[in-house]
Amino acid sequence: MKNAELSLKNISKSFGTMEVVKELSLNFPSGSFTSIVGKSGCGKTTLLRLMAGLETCDSGEIILPQGKIAPVFQEPRLMPWLNVADNITFAAIHDKNLDKKRLDEILQLLELTEARNLYPHQLSGGMAQRVSLGRTLFYNPDVILMDEPFSALDYFTRHSLQETLLLLYEHEKKTIIFVTHDVEEALLLGDRILIMDKGAIKESICIDLPRPREVAQEEFQILRKKILNALY
Amino acid sequence: MKKFARGLLVPVLLLCAWQLVSAKEIFSPYLLPSPSKVFEAFLEISASGALAQHLLVSLKRVISGFAISVCLAIPLGILCGQSKLFKNYFWPSLEFLRHVPPLACVPLIILWAGIGEASKLTIIVLASFFPLFLNTYSGIANVDTKLLEVGQSLNFTKQEIIRQIRIPAALEAITVGMQLSLGYSWRALIGAELIAASAGIGYLILDAEEMSRPDIVLVGMLAIGIIGSVIDYIFLAVIKKTFPWQQGLQEGSQR
Repeated sequence: MKNAELSLKNISKSFGTMEVVKELSLNFPSGSFTSIVGKSGCGKTTLLRLMAGLETCDSGEIILPQGKIAPVFQEPRLMPWLNVADNITFAAIHDKNLDKKRLDEILQLLELTEARNLYPHQLSGGMAQRVSLGRTLFYNPDVILMDEPFSALDYFTRHSLQETLLLLYEHEKKTIIFVTHDVEEALLLGDRILIMDKGAIKESICIDLPRPREVAQEEFQILRKKILNALY
Repeated sequence: MKKFARGLLVPVLLLCAWQLVSAKEIFSPYLLPSPSKVFEAFLEISASGALAQHLLVSLKRVISGFAISVCLAIPLGILCGQSKLFKNYFWPSLEFLRHVPPLACVPLIILWAGIGEASKLTIIVLASFFPLFLNTYSGIANVDTKLLEVGQSLNFTKQEIIRQIRIPAALEAITVGMQLSLGYSWRALIGAELIAASAGIGYLILDAEEMSRPDIVLVGMLAIGIIGSVIDYIFLAVIKKTFPWQQGLQEGSQR
């Protein structure tokens, strides 16, 4: 078993004079599902980009786990010149012996089998986001960083993708860090919720509700209120 | 089909107006020969084989000149687009050359290369290099950062990012550049042939002018327009078949 714990030690990041992440220290244990919630501009996307290596921190240290780490972006970011199957296997595009079985499994899991030969401009928003998720899954990272990946989708698509993500989490037990501004989404998915405000973690709440979680549950509503209170 | 018929309407109307003007002899037939006279001239130089022979010479020049441009402009554009260092070395010189119209170089080209094929090819290359080079450069340099980040997040090396993301993403800009460059080649060729040549469609026009045959001049002009459009059409058809995701290319996207 690989050590897939990701740790942040006193990391800070500023853009110009604006300090976006302030001396943050955090641990993401292997196989954990953490949701990070916060208002827009609180630094959650920057935090994720720092962990993904797309930004460098001004000070502090990020201790990356052994193995791979990959983000799922807010937008699908598909290569317009590749069809669905080639976009999913993009990480291994130069590999002639790519794992066709895994591709088929992912296509099936994400209900994309029939769309495998379509190009991005022929896909709906939800399908494109599924392809984007499929690309990260095919890369098979140990840590998946998700930056509001479902925020641009309609209610039904979002709901079905959340279910797919949970199914995947139960199945493959990867470390998932899920950034969202939607409190309900954070509660439906995460085992731990970090509330972020002005570049710092204001509160950390452990969620031990069994899955599948229901919005209508009393405990769910209590937790929701608690998080909302912490946010304001 | 409807689109095609609509496109034919204006030329047909113009042809009718032309016929009407020449039938009424508003202008002297020497200045404006009638469409039927032009058609007769077309039949005449087609039957003698002169038209085909001159067209073939011109086409050969365009294809060779364009091929040389492609071989120079695309690699240089890619290098300048992805390497700042390379760009710093070459950009000022290329920027200087870009502002010198190929026709201004003609006297020097003739002096150095004579009036043979080499001088014509040089003029075509000078005219067609820059649209292709600049399109390739901007295509490579301005690839969406969001796509580049995907490569970065999947741990691609710099080489892989260039091969798998930058070049494919720039293909659309490169093909637009090729389309422009092909049009420029064709136009520059006629210029080159009007100046000094003993064959080619430009020569045919100049020769006809000296022989006082405006009907042949018109046949030459019509042939240039028609062949240019046909080349563009074939080029677009090939591109659309090769790159099915491309939406941006359209007929006449000459800028």
